[in-house]
Amino acid sequence: MSFFGFGQSAEIEIYLDGQETRKTAEVKTDDSKKERFLLYYDGETVSGKVNISLKKPGSKLEHQGIKIEFIGQIEMFYDRGNHHEFISLVKELARPGEMIANTSYPFEFSCVEKPFEVYTGTNVRLRYFLKVTIIRRLADIVKELDIAVHTLSTYTEMNNSIKMEVGIEDCLHIEFEYNKSKYHLKDVIVGKIYFLLVRIKIKHMEIAIIKKETTGQGPNTFTENETIAKYEIMDGAPVRGESIPIRVFLAGYDLTPTMRDINKKFSVKYFLNLVLMDTEDRRYFKQQEITLWRKGDKIRKSNAHSPSIMAGTQNLQNTAQLHQKSSENKENNDIINETDQSPEEGFAGVKDFLRAPNSESNDKLNSRDPFEEKTSSPSEEIEDSQIQNMTREAGDGQNDVSNDVAE
Amino acid sequence: MPTPPQISPVEDQERHLHDASGVVKAQAFQMKRALDKSKLMDALKNASAMLAELRTSLLSPKAYYELYMAVTDELRHLEVYLLEEFHKGRKVTDLYELVQYAGNIVPRLYLLITVGLVYIKTNTALRRDLLKDLVEMCRGVQHPLRGLFLRNYLLQCTRNVLPDSAEEDGDCPEGTIKDSIDFVLMNFAEMNKLWVRMQHQGHSRERQHREKEREELRILVGTNLVRLSQLEFVTLEKYQKLVLPGILEQVVSCRDAIAQEYLMECIIQVFPDEFHIQTLTPFLKSCAELEAGVNVKNIVISLMERLASFSQRVEAIGTEGTASVLRDVKLFEVFSDQVASIIANRQYLPIEDMVSLQVALVNLALKCYPDRVDYIDKVMLNSVEIFQRMGVEHIESHSQVARELQKLLKIPLDHYNNILVILKLKHYAALIQHLDFTGRKSLSIYILYSALDDETIIPSSEEVEQALTLLSTLVSDKNDPPTTSLDMEELAEEQCLLARFIHHFKADNPDDQFLILTTSRKILAVGGPQKIRHTLPPLVFHAYQLAFRYKNSDDDKWDKKCQKIFQFCHQTIMALVKAELAELPLRLFLQGALAIDQIKFENHETVAYEFMSQAFSLYEDEISDSKAQLAAITLIVGTLEQISCFSEESSEPLRTQCALAASKLLKKPDQCRGVATCSHLFWSGKSQATNGQEAHNGKRVVECLKKGLRIAKQCMDNSVQVQLFVELLNHYIYFFEKGNDQVSIQILNQVIIKIKEELPNLETSEETEQITKHFNNTLDHLRVRLEMPETDGVSYEGLEI
Repeated sequence: MSFFGFGQSAEIEIYLDGQETRKTAEVKTDDSKKERFLLYYDGETVSGKVNISLKKPGSKLEHQGIKIEFIGQIEMFYDRGNHHEFISLVKELARPGEMIANTSYPFEFSCVEKPFEVYTGTNVRLRYFLKVTIIRRLADIVKELDIAVHTLSTYTEMNNSIKMEVGIEDCLHIEFEYNKSKYHLKDVIVGKIYFLLVRIKIKHMEIAIIKKETTGQGPNTFTENETIAKYEIMDGAPVRGESIPIRVFLAGYDLTPTMRDINKKFSVKYFLNLVLMDTEDRRYFKQQEITLWRKGDKIRKSNAHSPSIMAGTQNLQNTAQLHQKSSENKENNDIINETDQSPEEGFAGVKDFLRAPNSESNDKLNSRDPFEEKTSSPSEEIEDSQIQNMTREAGDGQNDVSNDVAE
Repeated sequence: MPTPPQISPVEDQERHLHDASGVVKAQAFQMKRALDKSKLMDALKNASAMLAELRTSLLSPKAYYELYMAVTDELRHLEVYLLEEFHKGRKVTDLYELVQYAGNIVPRLYLLITVGLVYIKTNTALRRDLLKDLVEMCRGVQHPLRGLFLRNYLLQCTRNVLPDSAEEDGDCPEGTIKDSIDFVLMNFAEMNKLWVRMQHQGHSRERQHREKEREELRILVGTNLVRLSQLEFVTLEKYQKLVLPGILEQVVSCRDAIAQEYLMECIIQVFPDEFHIQTLTPFLKSCAELEAGVNVKNIVISLMERLASFSQRVEAIGTEGTASVLRDVKLFEVFSDQVASIIANRQYLPIEDMVSLQVALVNLALKCYPDRVDYIDKVMLNSVEIFQRMGVEHIESHSQVARELQKLLKIPLDHYNNILVILKLKHYAALIQHLDFTGRKSLSIYILYSALDDETIIPSSEEVEQALTLLSTLVSDKNDPPTTSLDMEELAEEQCLLARFIHHFKADNPDDQFLILTTSRKILAVGGPQKIRHTLPPLVFHAYQLAFRYKNSDDDKWDKKCQKIFQFCHQTIMALVKAELAELPLRLFLQGALAIDQIKFENHETVAYEFMSQAFSLYEDEISDSKAQLAAITLIVGTLEQISCFSEESSEPLRTQCALAASKLLKKPDQCRGVATCSHLFWSGKSQATNGQEAHNGKRVVECLKKGLRIAKQCMDNSVQVQLFVELLNHYIYFFEKGNDQVSIQILNQVIIKIKEELPNLETSEETEQITKHFNNTLDHLRVRLEMPETDGVSYEGLEI
């Protein structure tokens, strides 16, 4: 077009205030490359200047007006043409007229609400960008600038541990415990697995972090599972009474905060999947949702020399001892009951818990285990009663992503 | 059943090891290069890849060990690099966190330990928490072999950084001895669990193989205990309160025989004796709780032996503090009680092991308390009780139990070298009863040899009685008559030993000695003919000696007592007679007669006569063999010739009887020689009539010799005849030279001529040659006398040679 002299006769540059000092964040673009964008938080003012420079000094630029927009939008990859803008703010920079010289227009979107975090997933992308348009009769001159947005949360409210006794009847009973149900992105998952009954030959045990991205609604729901991390936490076969520590540092993985029903378009949820593999490569697993959130950076201090890097191991000992005591009692029951032809009545509570789909079992569990009382945040309660068993699959072990229990 | 990945056969081992080592070398090279370029992240990646080789399940413990050594060697480079960087102040932030991103647990934990060590070395304020963290995190490896080596690495790495300082009040982030103990004990417990678990993996037919592998790995577990023992601040108090209870709890609760045996042994070897002494009770109590398959005996014994030699060492050096501790502890009592409870609690303990324990107890007692015989006796009593409880009556010899019991019984003997001490042990005899006949006998012989070698004198009748009861298998055979036929030679040998032993019965006081003799006889008399022939004679000789002792003593009633003694002798000898023995009692009687003759107590003539007459009647009734008869008569004649106490009326019949007996011998040559011997009775025999002087009855002498000649002539065999003539000639010459006037030169000449006539007729033979030589010698003698007569001797004038 420039051949006719109409072409891009001006260049737009968007300068953001403090961009030399502002922090940046890495954001995946849709072609799965990573770029660094300036980082903004919810409610922060986005301000700066738009510099328009004419290509040929002395020439003039005729336009129908110049505007700058602040847009937050969700793109579905399967529906490219249809973007959902959840934010769209416009500022007019210039009325229609002619521009004779390079001009700079300051702008300010003060205290912009940025309710969601930028996200690039398998099927969906959420981005924020500034768009400057020089409206022309034939072809507008447009310039976009992406920014990164992080949503910070504070979970000062209850953040209970996840503790659950699960198993395959007469085969495997374990109790696992994660110290929290909500982790920030640089957090450490500390926990333990306590083996109550082991009748299978376990080869190893790992914890996988699974990201579940759900897009669309109703019949057009798409779910993508992605294993973010696989982390071996045990090698070899434990015996009854063993307590295996878990410590997973999250900072090293590519994680985002949990996103629930973002603008009714998509959700991103994270699960901890505890997987046991036996010597015949059968896998036994149990998924447990965790909530991830982003914590303000300034709060986090370097922990190289703080004992928090060793978090959790001290407590483990105590719980193991506690268990040994209670399991001693159970052992007694075992012995008595074996003669009664009703073995393992000591696990009666567990059995009910495994089988009964109603709330009665939860009552039992609660009364049996004081620890459980504290766990019950509403969402987990539902999950608990839905999934009682560990899942066992006889597959080749490659498809743990696809064989999930629908929630 | 799913089969676990099997450890591959030996031929594959080398290949797998070779492959793995290759990877380790390559990765280590890359790692070092990265370190040289200060590219830590790359180095860590290489290290992780190298460590991933340790995840293998294909290697046997031995091969895995080689691989482990290679890998940990290389890890040291990383450690050194990090230490240098840290010292230079170039701390890598979050390194401890960083290494925990490794996806696989085995490499992750090796790296964590390596980095943790660097942290501890550069910042001791983290020490306590880091140690705790490391030992906890290692729980993630539950595979026995990999877990054992991982924890071994942990133990090796931390060996120089364990806090070793006294406990303090208040928080101490550097850690104290308490933290070290907790750390090592925890690591120990976990390693032991892993080690024990190996036993229960895989197929049961590979059990032996597995046990061998476990054997190879045990040192890894034991190293924990070594580490504890090396901590300076593991004081006695800490050991008592924390260390030992911790170890024992784990050992007992693991319920694995191999582990228990090894670890108990380990405790004994690793920790100092001063500690053991103070912790005997808990240790031994735990011993009682060990599994049935554990050789508790060896454990207890090895502890006893150690402490015994320790106590000896202490005494030698004379360290006052320890010595007093030793006295306070009452080693023997503690062991004795605990051994008893071990035996009581462990039904499966074989009896031989129980006895071995007693053996060890005795050894302990002897080494530590050599003067406490009552301890030994207590052990004996315990042993007896064990046998009674187990209902063991007679232990078959050659069985393991018997061997142990023999050992038990011999130890005090060997130690004290004095049978009298043994006799003081009240339960020794009872214990012997639990051996079978053969066992008891061989022990008796051992006792005898010991007593004889030491020449122990048994000084009282009580002790004699006890001793003989101990030796009852040799003394009498009324219990347990042996089923096999007696080996006479063996029997004789045994009885000779006993006889020698009897000679050692010696009391200081003659009266006591007599008591000993009567007691002994009472016991020995029941022995049966084969035994009393050996055992009674020494008593008789003892009695004769005793009589002499009385005679030389100033005892008023000595002659009464002597009479009693000879009565005793008489009875004793008669017992032999009753046992259908002849020559032996005959000789004893004769010996008795000689003794009586010399002692000359009141009434001794009658007693002597009785003895002689008994000898005669034995000769007449019991001795039938002609050679024996000749020998007997020769003895009788010799004895009678010596005895001087007889009056004429007793001596005359005796002499005549002798002559008569001699002439009634069956064979002519015997008659001849007997009669010739008798001739001496009439010449040098003594009696009261001659006032104890020689009788010199020349006429009777010549009569005897003449009779001899007559008998000789009747002999059919020429050579015998000549032989007898030569012998008679010698008798003649003897009496001639003694001055018997009834013997004349003529008689000598006649005999000589007679011999000369007969001699050439003899066939040449060896015998003839001898006879000729005898004769020529005799003639030579006469020739010398003829040419050079002795000044006051008789004259040989007229002798024709």
